[in-house]
Parts: sequence; structure tokens; C-alpha cells
Amino acid sequence: MDEKEQAKTTAVKGTESARKVRAMVKNLYRGAGEARAQGKKVAYFMVASQYDEILRAMDVVPVPTENYAGLCAAKRDMDRFLLKAEADGYSQVLCSYTRIGLGFDSLRKDLGGMPENAPDGGMPLPDMMLGSSAVCDPRFKWYQAAGRYMNVPTYSIDVMAPPVFTDLNEVRDHYIRYQREQFLGLIEFLEQQTGRKMDKERLWETIRLGDRAWRLWYETDRLRRATPCAMPSQDHFSIMVPAYYYCGTQEAVDFFNDLYAEVKYKVENKIGVIQEEKYRILYGGGLPPWHTLWIFNYFESFGAVFVIENMYRAYDPVEVPSHVKDPVEYLAWRAFLRLTQRHEKAKANSGNPVVERLLEMIKDYQIDGVVFHACRSCRATTIGQVHIKNQLSQYTDIPMTQLVSDMVDLRDYSEAQWKAQIGAFIEALSTRSA
Amino acid sequence: MPFAGIDIGSTMTKVAIVDSNGIVLASLIGPTGAEHRHLALKVMDEAMKKAGLTFEQLDFIVSTGYGRINVPFNDKQITEITCHARSIRELFPTVRIIIDIGGQDSKGIKLDTEGKVMNFIMNDKCAAGAGRFLEVIAETLGIKLTEMGELSLKAKEYVKISNTCTVFAEHEVTTRLAEGATIPEIVAGLHEAFAGRVVNMARNLGIEKDVVVTGGGAKNIGLVKAAEDKVGFPVLVPPEPLLTGALGAALLGKDFVARGVTPERERRIEGVTFFK
Repeated sequence: MDEKEQAKTTAVKGTESARKVRAMVKNLYRGAGEARAQGKKVAYFMVASQYDEILRAMDVVPVPTENYAGLCAAKRDMDRFLLKAEADGYSQVLCSYTRIGLGFDSLRKDLGGMPENAPDGGMPLPDMMLGSSAVCDPRFKWYQAAGRYMNVPTYSIDVMAPPVFTDLNEVRDHYIRYQREQFLGLIEFLEQQTGRKMDKERLWETIRLGDRAWRLWYETDRLRRATPCAMPSQDHFSIMVPAYYYCGTQEAVDFFNDLYAEVKYKVENKIGVIQEEKYRILYGGGLPPWHTLWIFNYFESFGAVFVIENMYRAYDPVEVPSHVKDPVEYLAWRAFLRLTQRHEKAKANSGNPVVERLLEMIKDYQIDGVVFHACRSCRATTIGQVHIKNQLSQYTDIPMTQLVSDMVDLRDYSEAQWKAQIGAFIEALSTRSA
Repeated sequence: MPFAGIDIGSTMTKVAIVDSNGIVLASLIGPTGAEHRHLALKVMDEAMKKAGLTFEQLDFIVSTGYGRINVPFNDKQITEITCHARSIRELFPTVRIIIDIGGQDSKGIKLDTEGKVMNFIMNDKCAAGAGRFLEVIAETLGIKLTEMGELSLKAKEYVKISNTCTVFAEHEVTTRLAEGATIPEIVAGLHEAFAGRVVNMARNLGIEKDVVVTGGGAKNIGLVKAAEDKVGFPVLVPPEPLLTGALGAALLGKDFVARGVTPERERRIEGVTFFK
């Protein structure tokens, strides 16, 4: 018996630019497979590891493994990979991105080739795997575990940020020196794997492209302060692909130039995501529910638009001091400044940089309510979420709710419960505005 | 001017009809019905008969509960959370936290000083925090669900039930019985575990006086006492805790008419269905 076809679960986007991202996603995986066939070096890599421009400067073709898990979920083709990883002994409480990645690698090994009809042609066997400690702990071990399925060299870098209540002046030099050493270690590894030396001028070029794209991303988000909002969060969750996975390329800069122009045009002509914007919602955090992105359109059916989000564009542009002349040192400085961006503000107020960022957004974007998404298998974005929500409520009385599921594992999702919860949240917004 | 609220749960349908002063003219609790939930309309009919009213005489009908969506004869649908808040504002104006223990789920609702919903939380996608948990275990123990409250009060101490999964808890209960624990001790242990889960959920909202317990769980005296132990002070229970959703729905209907809100569509006097 064949499985009955399910209704579409992806979201309707608000901008033309965001609709173009799908082709960029396809190119990540199909393109990497083709590049490898042409003899280029392909690397598994992870989001927000601060090393993106280094890979581009070394002409290493990146294959984002976490994004592949999101892609499988958006296509509702995740169970076979999750179950394979679980059958191999990985616990259901382990990060579901990791489980999908390991399950995919395991299946590919068992089958001796790509799993049948793998989304976007599947992830090609990499030449190397580049892990990182940035954001969460499973990422440091994931590629080590993947070594069970392929004999591929692995290198993981450490990305460090000091605790909030640290004297930044005291620790800055140490952190930057340490971060620089981490990047230099990675560069040495890449030089060994590719058989070529890092070209510093080329690295400066990819850094400039990366910074330019991120600056445009930031400027686009600032445009979303306008009422009605011209770009919703479901678009943001698409455009993080060029921002992160094409970071350091002209393609990303071109994409963000187009996006900025489109959003600016919409703002100037008062073209909103929906005709009647009744409530402006902040996506307070948590990885998005890739399996059910249409939920953003469900909110819109009540006049609620997600106008900004505390996810992915985790930092605003920073100014690295002009005395920094070395590109690797620049990356170390940039990482430090990004990761400590709201430390001083937090020290003076709530003690929590995330709370500070959310408070800024609530004010700047005229937010009516906050929705968090707790992902059962994502400790990094879920632990502390209730505490953050409680801290926020000391500063604002706008309605807030926390939806619970997982970023990709559908077994943790209940549509009936979400709809009931969303209904109550909308009523709370309506009562407040009345 | 009469107003009706109908709260359609997965197993029980509750109806309340109030007049323009908010005085209850009639109320009724009856089965929703298994197949297509067709009995919900029957409960509504009987409640109207009790009040001596017809559909045409009802000025506004608000539906709530899990079956609120496909109600052909309603004028508006509102979630249980808002409905509970509305009735509790009327019944107990000092309440700041509502703990609603239903058959399918549990909810915590925080109210502001005016009785408006400030925040809410629902239990996980799991039977452990819902009335169904006690229903399953009552079956295992061979006792009636309605007996559990009084039965648990006979125990001098409770047996610790550590499993949060209903299926595993069922196993644990049979193991404890085999070890010689008495049924009252086990039921007291179940209440302790259950109350721990729902009160802990409500703690996310910040517990403050007064607290009211509503829903079917509030009819279980053992569970209410266990909840009081966890909260640390006495909790309130409405005279008919199953009716707070329906009563709130009826009162909201009254509010809507006062504010000039018009029905969302034309009423059709047809059975309720949970399906398309």
C-alpha cells in the first residue's frame, strides 16, 4: 500500500527574493556532488562556526549538514534517517540534526550509494569534516561519530565567548589570541588537505564579501520595523541560507542587494505581508519548526505577522579596530566582538544578553506578542527559554507563548495542541489590544 | 436575553445558559458521543429544554473546547483558556492562577488583576498530565475513577510512582501491588505524582494567590489535596468545576452582545462533528 500524499507543509513566502533561495539550497547539495566529481574538495561543515570565509578562500566546497536535516524535515522525509540513527544506537534525546546526519551517512554506507530519492540528491561523501564548538555541544562530537561511517579526516575548532560578568578589557587579548590560534590550526589542516597555501589577499576578499552580505542582511532587517512589515520570519528562515552557506561569495552579496531593494520598495509603497496587519509578533527564539513552516501562514490568517526573530542573524555588524591588518586576526576580533556584543548592556540591566536583544526588538519593531519555539532535542536554543520568557515578563506585559515540538522530529509535534495554543494566544493579543 | 456556552470535550459536552445578569438559567453535562460526537447537539437540546428556551431565543452561542471548531449552530468559537478566565473572573475575582485538569490535557492560566489572561501554558504532548492518566490507572486497579479521591484519603502514606509515562506507570502500579502496597496508598501516590506535574507546569507562570483548580480533576478530592500540598496553600474549587469552560463561553456571549459583536455566520441546527 502506498502512503497517502500529505498536504504541503512549507510556508508561503512574503518576498520574491526568498522564493529564489530554494534553487540555492538545491545547488548546495547537487552542486557539491558535481564539484567533487570535478576534483574539488568538499567539506561537511556547520552553521555559525565563524570560519565560513576561510573555507571560501581555500575553495573548499561547503556541505551544511544541519541544513540538510532541515531540508529533509521541510520535505517530510526525515523518518528513515532518524530511525536509522536510532537503530544504530543514538538516543532520541540527541540533537535531531545530528541524528538525521548520522542516519543519512549510515544509510549511504549500507547502500553503497545515495539513499533512493534523497532530498536534493543527497549529501555527497565529503573529503573532510569541519566541526566546531560554537553554539552547542553535539557539534563537537557529531563528526567524530560520523567517522564510524566513513574514513574521512575531521577537524573541529573551538569558538569561545567569555561569560557575561567578565571584565572584557581583562580577557579580550587572551580570547582573541586563542581564537586566532584555532583559526590558524584549521588553516593548517585545510592546507594539508587541499595541498595549497592560504592566500591572505583572497581571504581579505572573502571577508569583505561576507561582511558586505551581513551588513545588507542587517539593513534589510531594520527596514522590517515599518508597518506593515514587508518581510516575514518564514522568509528569514530561507534567507539564512545565502547568509551562512554562501558567506564570502559575490552570490550572497548579490542576493542581499536584491532582497534589500525589494523590501525597501515594499516599505516605501506600504506593501505588507498581509493586507491587514493586526498584530506584530517577535519570534523569540528556538530553531524553526522546519516540518511545519506553514504555521507562520496560520498565524497570518489571524492577522498576526512575525516581523523579526531572535534566530540566525545572531549579531549585528561590528567594527573591528583599524589597527588589525591580518585577516585571521580580523576574524578572531570579529568573533569576539560578535559574541560579546550585548555583554556590557546585560551587565547594567537584566544580566542576560538575549533578554537585552529581545527587549530592543520589542521596542524597535513595536511588538505585540512573543512566540518561542522549544525544540525537544535542541539544548542550545531551548534550555533557558522559560527563564528568558520569565525575565522578559519583568520588563513587558505583552502576551508570550512557547510552542513545543522539535526542529525536525515530527514525533514531538501535535497540530491540535498547537492550534489550541495559538488560538488562545491570538485571543490574548486581541483582549490586550481591545 | 439568554446566552449559551457549549464546551465540547473529547468525552463530555458541557452547556451553560445565562441571562443578561450572568445568572445561570440551566446547565448540563452529558456525553459527547464516540461516533462523530453527534451527542453534543443532544446535550445542547436538553439544556435548552431545561431553561425552557429554543435556539431562536438564544441571543448568542459561543462554543469552546477541543470540539469547538465544527459546531454548525454557534455564533463564535473561543478557546477554553479565554473561557476559563472569563468564568473564574466572575466566580473568584481574586484568582491569579487557574490550573485546569481536563481529560485530554492540563493547562495553567495566569490572570492579571482584572481577570484577563496574562499568560498560559499547556502540558506536554503526553497523557501523564491529563485526566486520561488516572482513567487508565483506575482501570488497571479495577476501581471507578470517581472513587479515587476518597479512596486516596484513607491512605496514611503514599507509594512513590516515578514513571511519567502512562504505560510505564501502569506497569509500576502492578509491581507495587505485587510488593504489597494497598490500593489507597497507590492512588495517593498517583495523585502526588500527577499533582507534582501539573503544579510544576503552573510554576512556569509564577504561582501566586489565589489558585483555583478546574476541570474534571477538580472533582477528585485527593488530587486537589495533593495539589494544595504542592502549591503550599489552600486552593479554590468552583461549585461545578466541569462547567467553568461552558459558563465562561456563555458569559463571553453576553459580553459580545453588549459590545455589539455580530455572529460570525448563520446558525445551522445540525450535529457537531470533529471531522471534515
